[in-house]
Amino acid sequence: MTEIALLARRSVREILRYPEATIPGLFIPLFFLAVNVGQVAKTFPSTTPFLHGQGYVAFQLPVSLMFAVATAASGLALVTEIDIGYFDKLLAAPIRRSSIIFGRLAADFVRGLVGSTFVLLAGFAFGAHIEAGPLGAVLLVFLAACFGVGYAGFGVLVALRTRNVQATNTSFLLFFPLLFLSPNFVPFDRLSPVMEALARANPVSYVIDGLRSLVIEGWEWDKLAYCTLVIVGLIAILTTLSLRAIEQYDR
Amino acid sequence: MSDAPAIATHDLRRTFKDVDAVRGVNLSIAPGEVFGFLGPNGAGKTTTVRMLCTLLPPTGGTATVAGLDVVRDAAQVRRSIGVALQEIGLDPVQSGRELLELQCGLYGIPAARARTRAQELLELVGLADVGERRTKTYSGGMKRRLDLASALVHEPQVLFLDEPTTGLDPASRRTVWDEVRRINEAGTTVFLTTQYLEEADQLCDRLAIIDAGTIVADGTPEELKARMGHDVVALTFDDPGNGTVTAAERAVAGLEGLERTVTERDGTALYVRDGAAAITEIVRLLDAAGLRAKTINLARPSLDDVFLQATGRRLEGAEKETAA
Repeated sequence: MTEIALLARRSVREILRYPEATIPGLFIPLFFLAVNVGQVAKTFPSTTPFLHGQGYVAFQLPVSLMFAVATAASGLALVTEIDIGYFDKLLAAPIRRSSIIFGRLAADFVRGLVGSTFVLLAGFAFGAHIEAGPLGAVLLVFLAACFGVGYAGFGVLVALRTRNVQATNTSFLLFFPLLFLSPNFVPFDRLSPVMEALARANPVSYVIDGLRSLVIEGWEWDKLAYCTLVIVGLIAILTTLSLRAIEQYDR
Repeated sequence: MSDAPAIATHDLRRTFKDVDAVRGVNLSIAPGEVFGFLGPNGAGKTTTVRMLCTLLPPTGGTATVAGLDVVRDAAQVRRSIGVALQEIGLDPVQSGRELLELQCGLYGIPAARARTRAQELLELVGLADVGERRTKTYSGGMKRRLDLASALVHEPQVLFLDEPTTGLDPASRRTVWDEVRRINEAGTTVFLTTQYLEEADQLCDRLAIIDAGTIVADGTPEELKARMGHDVVALTFDDPGNGTVTAAERAVAGLEGLERTVTERDGTALYVRDGAAAITEIVRLLDAAGLRAKTINLARPSLDDVFLQATGRRLEGAEKETAA
């Protein structure tokens, strides 16, 4: 546990010392929020049934939260360490290899908390409010950060398997099809039959739906349960694959 | 100190797909030794070190470090060794001090002791005044010294240094040599790979020459040179043309212990069994033939000669080293 804490502290320090690597990533979700809301706010006024009396910004806020936390930053940091030789130094230390992964993911959690809080505050500034109240807002930030941890596992996995900076960087692009094949702009029942089928098969849809329920509906336990299940599954699968990759590294 | 070897390998092998990088290496290194592993690029030095450091599993044979099997007891081996690999493994975001304190933590050293130990090590490698700077601002020599310090946080029994001076200027190289001597004097066994002959000669109690994954010679530097079986007596002449060199070679042809002569641009090189003893007789024979040498130099065989004899070619970088 100590070694995870030490490695996590180092990774957090890395985030703080390279704000230029984090801050631009926070403006992209805000950009999408502003552009999407600007384009369709008149089409979907607050009287639209699925908005439950809020503006369209509230409907889009969860998508921006996910944008803020889904990064390949840990994968990139890891592949850079492999490249410069520091990774070997860590492997030669008497620590569990899994600590290297958990140290990185712990920093992703911190990054996710900070990023999603920032986007949430921006959402408030745009006029959104959290129907589930302050506790719902905390849960929203927490779940978003957890989704960031799960998604980071994908970048880490690519970094360990390919040991290639470009491949790891490109892994972030996977997020776009996952995001756009979801009830990103409208609810499931407003999608075309084909898109709805694809969206219902896409696990990310349930994360969006769960987070969105906290913002515009309140405490919808079934949606929150699906959302949590997907996030836990994502963390479990990608972390397990990453742990296996690091155990097999040069074996 | 135990008599058991600090490092022992038996028929150690590593194959990558269809490439045999290490082909049956046998080593026995006593505690407290500085052991050199000399060879050109691609000879199998780094692969051997990575296996001994538990970073790469062997595909054949066995190896023990500090009495522990590198496969079965990998975790304990890592507690007993310090590692400074060829690629300097430093985190550029951290300061030198932070990096050492983290390294202490990873070896289970409590935070308060880690702070003291980091300071000791920064002083040891002469980086105390730049300890707060991020490592990315360090020069190549400073990075190498910090890397060396980070390998020492837990006072390892065995220290692996993989080409620790490659890419360093001569002054930095000598600083690293001084550190290695100091570390060894404190009782640490040092396993050093190098492609610099002078480094091996200066630092190592014993060494092995590896070529194409196989050890082709081993012993102390003096033993290896002595095994060459000859010294070189180089004669130069004021007027090497006009048959002087040929006449000189003819005059010494009957010299006892003479193995061969090699005609050079301004004289001749005589390969004799005992150069020091032969010089008087060489002078007498030249005198008897009416010849007078301008200079007479007695040279012991170098490790480069040993390498040449063992592998059939000179070591890459040997010329560069002489120039440095």
